[in-house]
Amino acid sequence: MKFDTIIMGGGLSGLTCGIALARTGKRVAIVAGGQNTLHFFGGSFELLGNVDGADVTNPLEAISSLDQQHPYSKMGHEQVAQLAEQAKSLLGDAGIKTSGDSARNHYRITPLGVTKPAWLTLDGLATTDRPDSLPWKKVALINLESFIDYPIDFVVEGLRALNTTVEMPTVTLECIKRARRSATEMRATNLAKVFTNTRNVAQLAEAINAVAGDVDAVLMPAVVGIDNEDASDILKAQVEKPMYFLPTLPPSVSGVRINAALRHYFQMLGGRFLLGDTVDKATLEGDRVTRVNTAKLQDTPLEADQYVLATGSFMSKGLVSNFERVYEPLLDLDTNAPKEHAQWSQFGLMGDQPFMSYGVMTDEHFRPLKDGKPLSNVYAIGQVLGGHNPLTLGDGTGVSLLTALAVAQNILDQK
Amino acid sequence: MATTQLTSISDHNFEQCLKCSICTVYCPVAAVNPAYPGPKQAGPDGERYRLKDPKFFDEALKLCLNCKRCEVACPSDVRIGDLIQQARMKHTTHRPKLRDMMLANTDLVGSMATIVAPITNFSLGLKPVKVVMDAVMAIDKHRTFPAYSAQKFEAWYRKNAQAQQDKFAHHVSYFHGCYVNYNFPQLGKDLVTVMNAVGYGVHLLDKEKCCGVALIANGMYQQARKQGEVNMASMRKSINQMRRPIITTSSTCTFTMRDEYPELLGVNNDNVREHLSLATRFLFQLIDEGEVKLAFRPDFKMRVAYHTACHMQRMGWAIYSTELLRMIPGLELVELDQNCCGISGTYGFKKENYETSQAIGSILFADIEAAKPDYVSTDCETCKWQIEMSTGVKVLNPISILAQAIDVEATQKLNGVR
Repeated sequence: MKFDTIIMGGGLSGLTCGIALARTGKRVAIVAGGQNTLHFFGGSFELLGNVDGADVTNPLEAISSLDQQHPYSKMGHEQVAQLAEQAKSLLGDAGIKTSGDSARNHYRITPLGVTKPAWLTLDGLATTDRPDSLPWKKVALINLESFIDYPIDFVVEGLRALNTTVEMPTVTLECIKRARRSATEMRATNLAKVFTNTRNVAQLAEAINAVAGDVDAVLMPAVVGIDNEDASDILKAQVEKPMYFLPTLPPSVSGVRINAALRHYFQMLGGRFLLGDTVDKATLEGDRVTRVNTAKLQDTPLEADQYVLATGSFMSKGLVSNFERVYEPLLDLDTNAPKEHAQWSQFGLMGDQPFMSYGVMTDEHFRPLKDGKPLSNVYAIGQVLGGHNPLTLGDGTGVSLLTALAVAQNILDQK
Repeated sequence: MATTQLTSISDHNFEQCLKCSICTVYCPVAAVNPAYPGPKQAGPDGERYRLKDPKFFDEALKLCLNCKRCEVACPSDVRIGDLIQQARMKHTTHRPKLRDMMLANTDLVGSMATIVAPITNFSLGLKPVKVVMDAVMAIDKHRTFPAYSAQKFEAWYRKNAQAQQDKFAHHVSYFHGCYVNYNFPQLGKDLVTVMNAVGYGVHLLDKEKCCGVALIANGMYQQARKQGEVNMASMRKSINQMRRPIITTSSTCTFTMRDEYPELLGVNNDNVREHLSLATRFLFQLIDEGEVKLAFRPDFKMRVAYHTACHMQRMGWAIYSTELLRMIPGLELVELDQNCCGISGTYGFKKENYETSQAIGSILFADIEAAKPDYVSTDCETCKWQIEMSTGVKVLNPISILAQAIDVEATQKLNGVR
């Protein structure tokens, strides 16, 4: 089977790169081994949130202080600014509406009730301009009965620390009682399926109106709008007070929705999406990959002019570690992980962990290095890249989006 | 220590579960029926308890469709569906009812029904009969059994096709399955047309038994195993003695024999698995390698919405069927989003499952309606029944579409067939 480009990995970066190429008429196939880390998405994209432990106000300016190995340093200030705009408009074209500015971070509210710098936030989610206050004096945070995996006491405490009065009225619904037959499964995505039914959404709105009281805004855990935004639009229209969603712990309802939206858009553009399959062999001739094989297609090789590695980090098995080494499992590419096992981690679970910035090394075009030399028709994008750190730098989704677009541009510039 | 870490793999990759819950997001049953806790709880979570004490087995596991969409979604390659089926095999105390035995024995019931096909079809379609089946047998009255054909595919083949098959340069054996044999011989005829046009003779297996998918679903594992052994023996003979690979036109039969035989039933399919393929895959590979060519009729026009059946999705083979369809000039293809149709073989025929079954399918039915196709295409026969009953749109196997789209004479010429 022949394509112009084969992308290995169907997460945020793989889909973004696929869309950018498919819309120019390229024949693109994405091989995606199961679902991706968008299911852990908090509802905000971040470009650069922290440098040296301090919040970043203007991400574009702060790029100059990053290490030379950081993916943004390889693009330079101008390309980052340009691709950030392109990313926002590509998301919009896929039906994902966001607000935000690459030259000025706003603050998102995490599922644990803490504020963190963000670049683009999905429309409808609660945000604030400042790290230490909310735009409302008094809010009602809806406590949905039976909803598990939502640490509401933490959230209330977090919001109160932002100089806001927080009420926590409880909402009980008939439709939720029915869903409770499997009480161990009352997570955000399970609840969201109850709220694909508009009668249940109306029930929820009515219950919220009955308990909200005299507040400036209603804050609601994001458990509505899994298929599309219809259910959340209906809810917002029917709730009398201004209402904003707060992200939940995974699986994320908005993550499921934008994953489906990106994939749908990619396929609409003619892209081929092979879900539940994994590239398990790449044939290398000199510095070129000539074909790849997958676990399911076995003796049908996939051939392309370019190959894009978007396989993710440790969780997605784009990187693997055992007692002996950290490695990239498909091509055994060069990584920035030291040999010495003891250096991979350090004391303090929540501290700055070195392994978080491990990944493959590339040249300035994001072509990965093998034995110190770049492969000529392979590119690496997203979390498989080394030299950045989504936890300490707050750059995870930004690196995924921008490297995907940069590589799509590099591929298109070749011909 | 290092080697232990590198080589220790648990049954069905059970220990790789990270508890991310993504599988449950994509479970079609849990989405509509709260009595089913979903794959995470029914599979790896429940398994931890069941390993300690079988009393933790939950009969709600019988609500699982075995669609395997959980396995396709799993980022950690845990065989969640297999874990659930295995637990049912091991622990259930539920015995198959007469109704389940009737539904599961597609071979036996099909053989009896085709003998008196007009009477069977007539009476199965009668309202009083449906009401009795609904009340006595708990087969939902909304369902109509797929019509039984008056002439079995095998009988047609022996009478009309067999004699010409030896003249071809290449040969395959065809596992037609119960559906083609008893209900829809036309698909088998289409397969013979297409394969003959590209220079391949089509032969029956020495002995073919139902693949057993319905037996597995209804808890009749012993019988499924026995039938599996017969199929494997026939296929080994075809491969080793006649040098004929085996092709099928049913994604579910193929999946069952390639994957469920070794994983669930313990039926050894070594040396068969790699020679057992879906016809669309077999053809695509021949075309991809330049071994055969197709010539199409210039006047062919059709708008087709392709539905990926659950087991087709699990095999990862939909791309073969869709790429083949895309080769047809004049065919406009819409790929439907990934949703289960809800029938899952015999599951949707049972009265207690009817509502769940239709609720699951409703998303797909709406997508089909929006796509406004001339035909829906899918590689699974039970999806065909469900989609035809629920949307009124006719469903064709990709092979049947090919049979209509190719110029047989021109294709024969291209492939040197005289």
